[in-house]
Amino acid sequence: MKSGSNLERLLESGQFAVTAEAGPPKGSSPKVVQRKGELLKLCCDALNVTDNQTAIVRMSSLSGCVLLKEMGMEPVLQMVVRDRNRLALQSDILGAAALGIRNVLCLSGDHQKFGNHPTAKGVYDIDSIQFIQMVKTMRDEHKFLNGEEISGDVPFFIGAAANPFADPFEFRVTRLAKKANAGADFIQTQGIFDMPKFIEWMKMVRDRGLDEKTHILAGLIPIKSVGMARYMRNNVSGLSVPKEIVDRMADAKEPKEEGVKICLETIEQLKEVDGIHGIHIMAVAWEDIVSRIVEEAGLMPRPVV
Amino acid sequence: MYDNNPVNAMEHPPCRVACPILTDVREYVQLIAERTFKEAYASIRKLNPLPRVCGRICTHPCETACKRGQVDEPIAIAALKRFASDGPWKGRYEADVPDKSTGHKVAVVGSGPAGLAAAHDLAILGHRITIFEALPVLGGMLRMGVPAYRLPKDVVDEEIQAILDLGVEVKTGVRIGEEINFTDLSEQGYKAVFVAIGAHKDQKLGIAGENEFEGVVSAVSFLRAVNQGQNPKTGKKVAVIGGGNTAVDSARCLLRMGAETVHIVYRRSGDEMPAAKEEIEEAVHEGVQIAYLTSPLEILGQNGKVSALKLMKNELGEPDASGRRSPKPVPGSEFTLDVDMVIAAIGQAPDSSFVADKLELTERKKRIIVKGPYTLVTTQPGVFAGGDAVTGPATVVEAISAGKRAAISIDLYLRGEPLPTIEPAEEVKREKLSPALVEKTRNFARCGKISLPAEDRLKGFDEVDAVLSEDLATKEALRCLHCFLGARIDKEKCISCLTCVRVCPLGIPTTNKMGEITIDPFACQACGMCVLECPVWAIDISLNFRSKIALEIEQVISRSQQAEPMIVGFFDLHGNFRSTDVKSLRQDYPNILPVMVFGLRRIDTCDILKAFESGADGVVLAGCPPDTDPFPETADRVKRRIAHARTLLDALGIDGARLEVCDMPEKGIVDKELIDGLIQRIKEPVQASSE
Amino acid sequence: MITLEQKNFEEIEKMTKGYNRLLVLGCETCAAMSFAGGQRQVAELASAIRVARKTSGEQGEVLEEAIARQCEPEFVDLIKDDVAGCDAVLSLACGAGVQLLAERFPDKVILPGCNTLFLGVTEELGVWSERCAGCGNCILDKTAGLCPIARCAKQLLNGPCGGSMNGKCEISKDVDCVWQLIIDRLDRLNRLEMLEEIFPVKDWSPAGHGGPRKMIREDLKL
Repeated sequence: MKSGSNLERLLESGQFAVTAEAGPPKGSSPKVVQRKGELLKLCCDALNVTDNQTAIVRMSSLSGCVLLKEMGMEPVLQMVVRDRNRLALQSDILGAAALGIRNVLCLSGDHQKFGNHPTAKGVYDIDSIQFIQMVKTMRDEHKFLNGEEISGDVPFFIGAAANPFADPFEFRVTRLAKKANAGADFIQTQGIFDMPKFIEWMKMVRDRGLDEKTHILAGLIPIKSVGMARYMRNNVSGLSVPKEIVDRMADAKEPKEEGVKICLETIEQLKEVDGIHGIHIMAVAWEDIVSRIVEEAGLMPRPVV
Repeated sequence: MYDNNPVNAMEHPPCRVACPILTDVREYVQLIAERTFKEAYASIRKLNPLPRVCGRICTHPCETACKRGQVDEPIAIAALKRFASDGPWKGRYEADVPDKSTGHKVAVVGSGPAGLAAAHDLAILGHRITIFEALPVLGGMLRMGVPAYRLPKDVVDEEIQAILDLGVEVKTGVRIGEEINFTDLSEQGYKAVFVAIGAHKDQKLGIAGENEFEGVVSAVSFLRAVNQGQNPKTGKKVAVIGGGNTAVDSARCLLRMGAETVHIVYRRSGDEMPAAKEEIEEAVHEGVQIAYLTSPLEILGQNGKVSALKLMKNELGEPDASGRRSPKPVPGSEFTLDVDMVIAAIGQAPDSSFVADKLELTERKKRIIVKGPYTLVTTQPGVFAGGDAVTGPATVVEAISAGKRAAISIDLYLRGEPLPTIEPAEEVKREKLSPALVEKTRNFARCGKISLPAEDRLKGFDEVDAVLSEDLATKEALRCLHCFLGARIDKEKCISCLTCVRVCPLGIPTTNKMGEITIDPFACQACGMCVLECPVWAIDISLNFRSKIALEIEQVISRSQQAEPMIVGFFDLHGNFRSTDVKSLRQDYPNILPVMVFGLRRIDTCDILKAFESGADGVVLAGCPPDTDPFPETADRVKRRIAHARTLLDALGIDGARLEVCDMPEKGIVDKELIDGLIQRIKEPVQASSE
Repeated sequence: MITLEQKNFEEIEKMTKGYNRLLVLGCETCAAMSFAGGQRQVAELASAIRVARKTSGEQGEVLEEAIARQCEPEFVDLIKDDVAGCDAVLSLACGAGVQLLAERFPDKVILPGCNTLFLGVTEELGVWSERCAGCGNCILDKTAGLCPIARCAKQLLNGPCGGSMNGKCEISKDVDCVWQLIIDRLDRLNRLEMLEEIFPVKDWSPAGHGGPRKMIREDLKL
């Protein structure tokens, strides 16, 4: 075991994993995190805590992770290279290890331009792939980036993101390979709406044997309204929302129900795709729907390993 | 003063280089475009004592050389010259004659254009001139050769009178060699003689029947009789033999004298025909028939009168010494033409027998030999010769040129100074414009001629062509492409930023690998885009150069008297307006201070700011209507530049609305409503708060 | 070249207020090529300041001068008399020029009239774009001649990120995704395999993160 985390154990034992996302509040109250934890506790195996998602300042990811851990949940620490240089990243990794965090998701981060501090200076000292590699070296070789020894263990199950829907399409698999080679133990993908494209991507992934090098968790974003569908289709770079999805949401009498239905259909299709080891549900501001989706997808109860 | 040195064709526009008297064509064309007609006339007249004559009958080599001819059609330079010289503004030409005479007496023999030009220039130099003329009237071929429908006699009279008014003495009816000779002249105190007797002797055809029958006439004597109003006897069916202007003039006169059919018989093809192309066209238009590649063999007669002309067809052979392909008879092609009159117009020679003992003559044509084509000195000291008598029949402007050259030589001779040796300028092969440049140059149709209908022409000798209207003349002058007036780069200032290369609408500036920029001064059309955009002011232009515009802004403001609100107006000369429109603008809006420019693209933000800095309350920029803009592709850039100026004005606390930009109306200089609106805005600015 | 732009007029007006004799000083290399500090821009700005002062009733004289490069002491020293005679200099050079003026004229107020932007190329007249970040350690051999440090919004060395869509960067549809360009170019050169390798973390010390930079050539030094 690299980290001994629940997520690692589950995936290594070949079980279908379910993770979800919990965004910390734009404030200091622990209750928001705790409430989300309560909502998601029973329906997922690990819970991602986002790191100043979309470059909007929130409670730190590490603090959110600690709050969840205190509740007995397993957190995934999301970290972006946008806000920290190599010193800060390594020190936070050490701190997270000390606080018992065992999963980390290494990300570039959304550009600061999109957030609520668009005039901020972006750091980008290292990139996400170099970050993965750095954490792997810290864990496996007990070495900092400069080669100096680290005292004590740094047991992390290392995750990375993959977006099959961004361009250039063919290179997306190469990039996944680079992440796997850098040391990514698991991958959480961008939310999937365009199934044919995802299936095509997965075929290329399998052709390179990447599904065996790393655990791929397929991303899902439950849609709450037609407005949200439209917004994602038109405004979110790196998302591919087919027109049919928007139309279905527009025509639906009860859009929320339709959103759940779409999500469940997607999970059913994903189960048929070889090389998928789990799902990752990003129910932004709709965390209370996650348990229903997991339940209706027939993925409850969550196994204990 | 006239400079008889050949001009450098690499620095001067082709129109000037092509002109035998180096007329600054570009200058007066530009002055016409600027609606300053009096100045245009002065520009012409200072060099040319016979501008109205030249405006009508000059063969305008300038037009042949004109750069615009490579694009569409050359500028109608001769018509513009006539416009500038015929107009009411010409007034009386005030020549700069010295108060005190030099005391030297000069005899000018012959009163044709060469003699007149020499007399004019020498009189201005302060010498005392006497013109000796064999005929009772002055003018030489201008009066005796050129028919009135091309050159009205009152025009000749007026131009000659202006020359005589300089104090030139005249002795008519005096033939040198008969009534008076060189020795007499010398004894009478003439220190120098200019022999400009012309070529008035027609050459014989040299064919059978020429001297046998009544009705065979020489062109010179025929035209002389016509021009003197003697109403010579004219046949019904006439053949004119020859291909020069004399032949064409004779043919056109014949039609006016009642001839029913007139054939010009010319031995080569139309391409070789020496007469002016437009004269040939007019002749054909009036009904003259031309038999090309035809030579006369014999004149046939009945009862002592001409009855027919035996002719033969030719084909063209190898080029001869003149470079023209020589005609070769086609065996068996003989035919006859029924005619009752034959006019011989195959070239004229000088009647030079009277000087044969004093001056050296050419063997065959008896032309006077001069030792230098520029100095015009003869074998006899103090005797100079020029014009047709030296060259054989040539053009009026070549004769004027000879007269002017003689004046310089005689002046130097009289002052005891050596005559310069002048080498003829090497003929410069000017590069043809690139097809890309021709493609990019906007075409503007050449002005048409306003002519009498053919049927009205033949009723008499009224002038065929009318003078251009002001509208047509300015429009025509605005077609000028401003050779050598364009961008010049100061290599010391240039930082190789390439802006000129990028901004030129015609792609004229080029760079080498080291960033050295070359701007072809001949190809450049002086649009001025690069001048303004150059960030380091390394480029200037001769047409409306930068400091000239700045100075004019200063001047109009300092001269302004009642200016409330004071508005500087930049007006594009390419608009459809007249000089009177400018006048009435000044009257109606004394507060608008006009600065005339060749295109609004010449106005920089700096100029606009300068106007405000100097005290203007507003600025109006009136651009020409798009259909008259030679560089419409720059219009958008000009608009953006003005928008930038407006933003800047807003930022510095002057309402940007005080800067008005507009297109001129279809006709006229300005839209009054728009101007009134601007004045209103300046007087009552929109208040920021309305409490 | 170094690309710069003139500051907006309001800022310049505020900055120069109260300096009776103001010298507007152009810089005729990069600043001129950026249309920010050539003689023409000097004249335009000086004229604008004069008009603004006239409008607001402020006194004073606005002088105009330009030198080839404000980043060279020899050129700067040529205008010391002009500088001595004024209350402040409004420099239309890049930050380097402004600072050299300040160094050479320690007792004089030196004001920046421009914002220094980037090292770039002219795409066409009036359009410039960044190409080089001056990182001190060129990697263009490994990125098909296209710089991800200067041209990727996240300076990714192992890009592109998940925001690359239709060849454009997630930050703006007007910005090309340089990683898309790198991939296209390597594809054309048949060298795509170069991107399989993970690009190691970059040493940023030559990029200025090691402190203010200085270059000394012993062979050239006086």
